[in-house]
Amino acid sequence: MTPMRELNWNIAEHKLIYAVFLPFLIVFLWGVFVTMRRWLLGRPDPRWDRLWERLVGVVAQAGVQFRILREAYAGVLHATLSWGFFVLLAATCLVLLQEYLGLPTLQGPFYLYFMSLVVDLFGVLALVGTGMALLRRWVLKPKRLVEPRGSDGYSVLLVLIFVILASGFVVEGLRIVATRDPWGAWSPGGWLFAQAFLGMPQEGLERLHRISWWGHAVAAFAFIAYLPFSRAMHILVAPLSIFFRSLEPLGRLPAGGGAGAEGPGASSLRQLTWKHLLDLDACTECGRCQAACPAWLSGAPLSPKGLVLDLRDHLRARLGHSNGGRAMVGDVITREVIWSCFTCGACHEMCPVYIEPVPKIVEMRRFLTSQGDVDATLQDTLTATSRYGNSLGQSPRARARWTQGLDVTIKDIRRERARYLWFVGDYASYDPAARDATRAAARVLHRAGVDFGILYDGESGSGNDARRVGEEGLFEMLVEKNLATMRGCEFDEIMTTDPHTYNTLKNEYPRFGATWPVVHYSEVLDRLVQPDGVRLTRKLSRRVTYHDPCYLGRYNGVFDAPRRVLRALGAELVEMPRNRRSSYCCGAGGGRIWMKEAAGIKERPAESRVREAAALDAVGTLVVACPKEMAMFRDAVKTTGLEDRLVIKDLAELVEEATTLEVSGHA
Amino acid sequence: MNITVLLSMVPDLVEELEIDASGAALDTQWLRYVISESDDHALEQALLLKDRHGASVSVMALDYGDADQVLFAALARGADEAVKLTGIPEAGLGKRAAAATFKEALGGIRTDLILTGVQAIDDLDAHVAGMLGGMMALPYVGVTRSVEPSGEGKVLVQKEYPGGAAAEIEVTLPAVIGVLSAPQPPRYVPVARIREVMKTRTLDEREAVPATVPAEPAIIRLFKPESAEHAQMLDGSPEELAEQIVKILEDRGLAP
Ligand code: SF4
Ligand code: SF4
Repeated sequence: MTPMRELNWNIAEHKLIYAVFLPFLIVFLWGVFVTMRRWLLGRPDPRWDRLWERLVGVVAQAGVQFRILREAYAGVLHATLSWGFFVLLAATCLVLLQEYLGLPTLQGPFYLYFMSLVVDLFGVLALVGTGMALLRRWVLKPKRLVEPRGSDGYSVLLVLIFVILASGFVVEGLRIVATRDPWGAWSPGGWLFAQAFLGMPQEGLERLHRISWWGHAVAAFAFIAYLPFSRAMHILVAPLSIFFRSLEPLGRLPAGGGAGAEGPGASSLRQLTWKHLLDLDACTECGRCQAACPAWLSGAPLSPKGLVLDLRDHLRARLGHSNGGRAMVGDVITREVIWSCFTCGACHEMCPVYIEPVPKIVEMRRFLTSQGDVDATLQDTLTATSRYGNSLGQSPRARARWTQGLDVTIKDIRRERARYLWFVGDYASYDPAARDATRAAARVLHRAGVDFGILYDGESGSGNDARRVGEEGLFEMLVEKNLATMRGCEFDEIMTTDPHTYNTLKNEYPRFGATWPVVHYSEVLDRLVQPDGVRLTRKLSRRVTYHDPCYLGRYNGVFDAPRRVLRALGAELVEMPRNRRSSYCCGAGGGRIWMKEAAGIKERPAESRVREAAALDAVGTLVVACPKEMAMFRDAVKTTGLEDRLVIKDLAELVEEATTLEVSGHA
Repeated sequence: MNITVLLSMVPDLVEELEIDASGAALDTQWLRYVISESDDHALEQALLLKDRHGASVSVMALDYGDADQVLFAALARGADEAVKLTGIPEAGLGKRAAAATFKEALGGIRTDLILTGVQAIDDLDAHVAGMLGGMMALPYVGVTRSVEPSGEGKVLVQKEYPGGAAAEIEVTLPAVIGVLSAPQPPRYVPVARIREVMKTRTLDEREAVPATVPAEPAIIRLFKPESAEHAQMLDGSPEELAEQIVKILEDRGLAP
């Protein structure tokens, strides 16, 4: 006998289902329409390039859910729940194929192995996932779900999903008992439920079956109708936000809205792009961004999740005309929130649906800056930068003062050709803590025979951070100045020790016609410590840990070069828990180094970071590869009392320790 | 209300000041100029009056240093008109001559309120504003921290006195006010706006009428502070340092 089950057994009136479905469908479509119409409020932003790459992203992140699965508990519960639900939905559609196209989906081995066994197991998985999710929401309550405000919307949904799944199994169980289905055990979930109905009179079984069949259908329809109005909307919108995600490097900020009637930047939702608005509906409220955000964790008022949710409420209220005249910038998103961001990019890295908080924040900063609405210290910095070309407010003529007293002379690349144009940057040039490292780098490179030169006082700050605080005009002015000088020089590559400088030179200067390759000194050092490069005479046999600068690692993917250098020196590298892509910001980025500390800070990011390093077993050195970190971390070891426990060293300083004065020849 | 703000440039102390070969003047080759801080506040005070009560603000500067930059920045910040007085020597004018030049230039302008910084790093004895008031025979109040309109043709100013005392003084217009500070710090103008203004606006250039003033005192010698003795730096472990300090005190007979 071929295994099979009868289509629509016991439901003579099954055609009625379409009539029942219709109102739910209308509500669903209306909800989808209303949601999509909201996005159209935003300004245009073409996101239709590289379709294949976009599709692959959707399959990987919405389908397989790689990012979601980075976390064990939440990953497993989401994957089981969503895959289970998806398989059940697919199976329901397959039933329709038999009904309307006569495809035999409910008989034979396909029925037995897939439609019964596999689908049922997925159903069980979904039930387990739902249970795990409810446990997490009601009992475990991880902080990132309840702060800054919880979302109860999910509880309703989860209960509804539970009802749908359970009623499905009840229907199946009743059918198995009532039809004495010989293949009942192939549907393990239904079979289990069937045990509850054994011994019930046939008539009762059939009546109960009809009731639960309709109940199951109505619950499922209710879910569909509720979907666009609920947290479940992310099921539809998240794949879109993944598909339309930015494929540009994170370090290349979008140009922004330009100078419309309302000025540059974004002071209202209309000045954000449609993709920004779509992001708001895609947010699942998972809080992963927030759990990684140095602003939030240090006690600042910014949470990327909170930002997205506040903007979303504003968007919905706006179209409901109930926003009470609240301005997006200032009322909905306060200045404190906007200025708290380090632009570290951790939220981008963590978000399973590729929401992009940083460009939104920078757009709002552009608006504030255009209004002169900046805090006093930031104002001083910006004024100094436009006046002197450096953010430290020092004499531009003193830019190359760090070269004084160095026993090597450094080429003036404006006069002499060199292989590398070393773009030194503001901090490496002027900051007392960073200057020693700059000098160490100069000596090491010189001794290794690397052919490099600097621009001396012809260099101005690169403008990376000016751009991140929204001072687009200042950024452009700096770019123009620098390019005018650099165009008159002869060199092959640009090198810099400063990841912020590196980022803008590499990702943003090309828009202005700069086409030179850009390398970080860790990459140059990496080339040097290869076997035929500089001779290392001392082994640094000590345990060190390395801090990935946000703008080098997460932003530009340079993770291995500095690590290879450290290993070549003989150091034993121990990783901090938050390393590589999940590295934790030192608190200097995004122009924060120029602003007053927000009120109510519990623990500065740099303090949290040095504690993390100091907690590693027998590690006494924290290695940095960014001139800003030197000052941040040296300060932090003092304020945390870890001075005896941890020294902060620049990569170049360690290389210098391990080399002699002998030069091995070439680079 | 028509407000005129007089702006001056002073040497920017971010650069080390060098004395030229004559030994009696700053070496202008290395000099970088910036707007004088209290002039910056005078401009802010004028712009606040404009924002809050409506006024037309024109700014005026002698053409030396970075006058163009300063005037364009003032336009970008919200001034309505910018006048540059040309024909000024490269190193600027003496304070009395500057006041007289401003007086001549203001002669043809209808203005109710003249605001300028009360002092500058090269005018610590606050000459320009006071002398201008005197030359123009207008009421003058200096060292103010706020200026507000009060009734027809009058302003109420808050003037600071040493020791934290302050006075409210009603001044009949036209008048000259020497501003110490505006009620709020000078606003930030984004670079894009300054660049936009430089492209779209022009400065009203006027030849300065040479003013005859009695001879100003001449500088005979300009010099940097000369330290008689250099500080002695001590080095070593805390114990060694303590020993050295004791020894020094003993040597000088300050310790038994
Ligand atoms: S970029 Fe960093 S600081 Fe800014 S919101 Fe994202 S995680 Fe927080
Ligand atoms: S923005 Fe992304 S990571 Fe943050 S809560 Fe929303 S979905 Fe989660």
